[in-house]
Amino acid sequence: MSVRHALLGLLSEGPTYGHQLRQEFEERTGDVWPLNVGQVYTTLQRLERDGLVESDDGASEGPQRAFRITAAGRDELERWLHTPPDLSAPPRDELVIKVLVAISLPGVDVRRLLQVHRRRVVELMQQWTRLKEDEGELDLAFALVVDAELFRLDSVVRWLDAAEGRLKRASVSEVGTDRSSGPRLRRRLVVR
Amino acid sequence: MTVPSGPVPVAARPNHGGAAARRAVRRWSWRLFRLEWRQQLLVLALVVVAVAATTVGATVAVGAQVPADTGFGTAHDMATLSGTPGHVAAEEAALRHRVGRVDMITNEQQRVPGSTDTYDLRAQDPGGPFGSPMLALRSGRFPAHPGEVALTPGLAAELHLHPGDTWHDGTATRRVVGLVVNPQNLVDAFALVVPGSVTTPTSVTVLFDAPLSVVGALTVPVSVVGRGVYANVLNPETIVLALATLGMLLIALVAVGGFTVLAQRRLRSLGLLASLGASRRHVAMVVRANGAAVGVAGAVGGFVLGLAAWLAARPMVENSAHHVIGVWALPWAVVVPAMALAVVATWAASARPARAVARVPVVDALAGRPAPPAPVHRTALPGLVTLVIAFFLFGASGAAAGQGGGMPEMVLGLVVLVAAIVLLAPLCLSVLGAVARRAPVGMRLALRDLARYRSRAGAALAAITLGVLIATIVAVAAAARYGNSLDYVGPNLATNQLVLSPAPVGVPAPDATKGGPGSPLGLPGPPPGPTPAQVRAEDAAMATSAHQLATQFGSGTTALELDGSSATLVHTGPGRTFTGTVYVATPQLLQAFGIAPSTIDPAADVLTSRPGLSGVSGLRLVAGEDSPIAGPGPIGAPPGSDGHPSCSPPSCLAHPVIQEVAALPTGTAAPNVVLTEHAVRILHLHPTAAAWLVQAPQPLTAAQVSAARLAAGAAGLQVETKNDEPTGATIIDGATIFGIVLALGVLAMAVGLLRSETAGDLRTLAATGASTRSRRVIVATTAGALAAVGAVVGTAAGYLAVAGWLRSNRLDGLSALTSVPLANLLVILVGLPVLAAAGGWLVAGRRPSGLARPVTA
Amino acid sequence: MLQLHDVTKLYGSGAAQVRALDGVSLSVDAGSLVAVMGPSGSGKSTLLTIAGSLEEPTSGDVVVGGSPLASMSVDERARLRRRSIGFVFQDFNLLPGLTAAENVALPLELDGTRPRAARQMAIEALEGLGLDTEADRFPDQLSGGERQRVAIARAVVGDRRLLLADEPSGALDSANGEAVMRLVLAACRRGVAAVVVTHDAQLASWADRVVFIRDGRIVDGTVPPPSPEALLQAAPEP
Repeated sequence: MSVRHALLGLLSEGPTYGHQLRQEFEERTGDVWPLNVGQVYTTLQRLERDGLVESDDGASEGPQRAFRITAAGRDELERWLHTPPDLSAPPRDELVIKVLVAISLPGVDVRRLLQVHRRRVVELMQQWTRLKEDEGELDLAFALVVDAELFRLDSVVRWLDAAEGRLKRASVSEVGTDRSSGPRLRRRLVVR
Repeated sequence: MTVPSGPVPVAARPNHGGAAARRAVRRWSWRLFRLEWRQQLLVLALVVVAVAATTVGATVAVGAQVPADTGFGTAHDMATLSGTPGHVAAEEAALRHRVGRVDMITNEQQRVPGSTDTYDLRAQDPGGPFGSPMLALRSGRFPAHPGEVALTPGLAAELHLHPGDTWHDGTATRRVVGLVVNPQNLVDAFALVVPGSVTTPTSVTVLFDAPLSVVGALTVPVSVVGRGVYANVLNPETIVLALATLGMLLIALVAVGGFTVLAQRRLRSLGLLASLGASRRHVAMVVRANGAAVGVAGAVGGFVLGLAAWLAARPMVENSAHHVIGVWALPWAVVVPAMALAVVATWAASARPARAVARVPVVDALAGRPAPPAPVHRTALPGLVTLVIAFFLFGASGAAAGQGGGMPEMVLGLVVLVAAIVLLAPLCLSVLGAVARRAPVGMRLALRDLARYRSRAGAALAAITLGVLIATIVAVAAAARYGNSLDYVGPNLATNQLVLSPAPVGVPAPDATKGGPGSPLGLPGPPPGPTPAQVRAEDAAMATSAHQLATQFGSGTTALELDGSSATLVHTGPGRTFTGTVYVATPQLLQAFGIAPSTIDPAADVLTSRPGLSGVSGLRLVAGEDSPIAGPGPIGAPPGSDGHPSCSPPSCLAHPVIQEVAALPTGTAAPNVVLTEHAVRILHLHPTAAAWLVQAPQPLTAAQVSAARLAAGAAGLQVETKNDEPTGATIIDGATIFGIVLALGVLAMAVGLLRSETAGDLRTLAATGASTRSRRVIVATTAGALAAVGAVVGTAAGYLAVAGWLRSNRLDGLSALTSVPLANLLVILVGLPVLAAAGGWLVAGRRPSGLARPVTA
Repeated sequence: MLQLHDVTKLYGSGAAQVRALDGVSLSVDAGSLVAVMGPSGSGKSTLLTIAGSLEEPTSGDVVVGGSPLASMSVDERARLRRRSIGFVFQDFNLLPGLTAAENVALPLELDGTRPRAARQMAIEALEGLGLDTEADRFPDQLSGGERQRVAIARAVVGDRRLLLADEPSGALDSANGEAVMRLVLAACRRGVAAVVVTHDAQLASWADRVVFIRDGRIVDGTVPPPSPEALLQAAPEP
């Protein structure tokens, strides 16, 4: 749970009020992931229950309550930072599923489908890149987040390219004689 | 970077960017040359050496000649006056009256006391209007009054005098005030005194300048300075320049390959240049400018090197030329054309690679893909036609050689022959491609590459062939010449021999025969005139002197009397005439050379050590008092024609029986042809002692030789010692070594270039598991194959050239080709390829160097 | 600035014939950056070399700055490249032996500009890209990123208005690649028309418009993206 540990991280810099935490979180993540206040407080309560943070005694529930991190909280933060995220189980990627369904359905132009998705992803990347255009105003956290998004989307495009290549080869080996859809010969043999 | 506004303005500036573009292209080319000159080191070095050799060679050759103005100073005219002092004075006054300014040099010949040497007591004004270049101070000063004298260094040494000494020459006492020389003639020995001090002149020379009309009207004999006009086109400058041209031709061939590789190495850069908007002309200009840069750098470097070498060699050359040669007395008429030739040769060599690289499509060039080798549709016809033309040119040269000409035809023939080789070389390479089919993989790769990339390998092959060709021509021609048993050439004597003969009376030093294959001993013995008794007495005296002389060289020295026969061999057939002296095979002579009389055919008339002489037809043994080297009549007259008198003993012996005896000496001045007693009887000859062959156990030293000269001179004898004539083996071996070294040098570069070229291939090979061994096989095969084809083609072309020349030459027919320098040809045909392959094998062990990587940026 | 109409390019003949471009039409306006995206062998590099007059199309028309290339001679095309077209290649852009400034000045000098004036313009172009301190360094003294930036300076020096780049950051790390694309974009903002061919979506995403090329055909293209703020509203809940 990244919000939980992000809040712990913010608290590790010093005691903070709940509403400040939300502001800080949004700033640090470059306003990319908005949080609502309720989500912040729910998370804080769970953290308090687990003994990872503590609040000022006697203070009422609400925005005025200040939270600080406990020793257990610091340990938990430390452990979390150094634990690699679980990448072993493949996420159930919607795009992959769509393509898998498409190749099993007759009458669907899979390459066209791939291109539709590719164009969509690239358009998205163009938008993200626009955000980077004015480099002077870019703060570090925001730039890291944008890069992360671009690399993620880039990997999608690459997967689409790879999928297309694989489909092409598969269709060639099935049809065999169909030259027009076969891979283009390299433009020219490279001769020394 | 302004905001665009409509279509691009076009044609505002010249189409090719004009001078600014050319300057930019040349600048880049020059920078590249500075960056990569090491990769062109061989071509550069060849140009440097060629220009340096031309500079030194021409300077020495020209400097060694006697200048036309020797004895003239700065004057154009020289009159020599003689007679009584009064008469001379009158003539001098008359001359002065007619021509104005004159410079008078008065000589009185004197003998060095106790010596046969003479010197001149010379009265000359050092500041005279014309004669001043004939006087130069070495030390001290010029004499200023009649009591002073300046001597030449040689004379001073002979007289044991030094500046400051006082010299009594018998009639006068003078103080030596300086050492002087005549820069125009360093062997001129004289004692300089002030004008007027020579009272009894032997000769008076008057120097002056006068118009031809005036000179013609003078009563005294006048010589006019030669104005540098050579009657013969074969002056040293022409020869050196012709050699330089041939050398540059060779270099250009080597350079074609070098520049092709260079252009390919720069292919991506040139593609980039084209993508920037350089026109084809600009792209080609990069390669051409590089060629010119190599030429210019080579020419300048060569000139500097040549100049340095000249400065180092100058004292030596002056010594042997006997006159002072100025530091800057370079034959500019040769040096400047040679430098220009270097630039033109390299520039021309870069033309074809430049054109080829400019035609590579920009996209291919950018990718570093050279144009695929163009299929060769070329037929052998142009090459063969050129070959035939060369053959006939050599024929024309051979035909003209009888009249002393033929040089221009020969040079032209060589140039055409080289052209033929250049045309035919690619076709020879395609033979390699055919051979490749059955070869193992490494060899196949190498041979196929050679066959495919003919433009590169063809030029290298042509250069190798040219090296072999020159060697073969020299070797075969020398073998043919030295193999001639009639006009026998070679060194006159061995180093431990000398020949004493009576000094000719009243005949000047034997300069007339100097350098020719004949020797002074060719002259008949004692001149006619004295009675036989006198002759016998003189002979006995000389024999005594000769034997006494021989004892000087230590024990074991023998003096063999050589008896002149006054008979000679005459060749009546076409071709060369017989040269040499025919002595008599006295028992003493046979014994001296260890020839047992029993081994001699009793019917033999002539014994000889000249190989092949016994097989020559049309020989006659002619007795007579006439000169033994008298010709057989008009040269080339058919045998048995009316030009020959009838031949019958005792004056003439047709078809003498000739026996070859290897034990006889082979020197041209030694008794290599002797008459048997049998022949002497038939021809009724009366042999007389003509010379003495002195043989010492060890080679004679220079001191012994000069001592012998002194003693011989006193006894009325003259001495002949070993001359500098090379032996046939020296020439043939020298030519062979030259050809092989040249061919190997060319190969080293060609293979080196090829290696850098195929570095990528070799890496690929290594990646596919090929070992160092495969690399060695490839390089060794490349080198060996190029060398083998070059050796075969070069030898064949060399034989063709010599055969063409001999075919129409009147002195030597095609039969001269029967003397084959077999060992040397084998060394070229087998040794050169083996050496090349071995060298390639060794060199290929190293990994391709970093230099081989293309420059990237 | 650049128009391709129905451009087809065939290589080879007979059975070995390859259709590198097949009826490609593309128009690039002044001031816009177009990315051509496709896998290797899709014909994108051919498109660039044909657009830049390095190769001739088998059929179709190419118009640069209003002038059709078909009617030009080899020399006129070279002149067009000197004056109007700047190339940036993947990894080999600068001539060895010439300094950065001389490399940038070269197309001007090839066109007849006097060396002094050409150098002045080159320095200005380098200054515009923040490379003025590198002006007198040789290519082998520059880093890969600097070399690409000098190449861009050369591509836009003088009044060149068409920049054609083939994988301009292909040999660079992402930071340098981004810097290169920023420069290309900056040039476009000043009025240069640019075409960048690449297989890299991150590079392509710098373009105003991305066209997709497959097997020599342009199969698709992005629409100009809406303002980036839309992203933030649409961002998913964490």
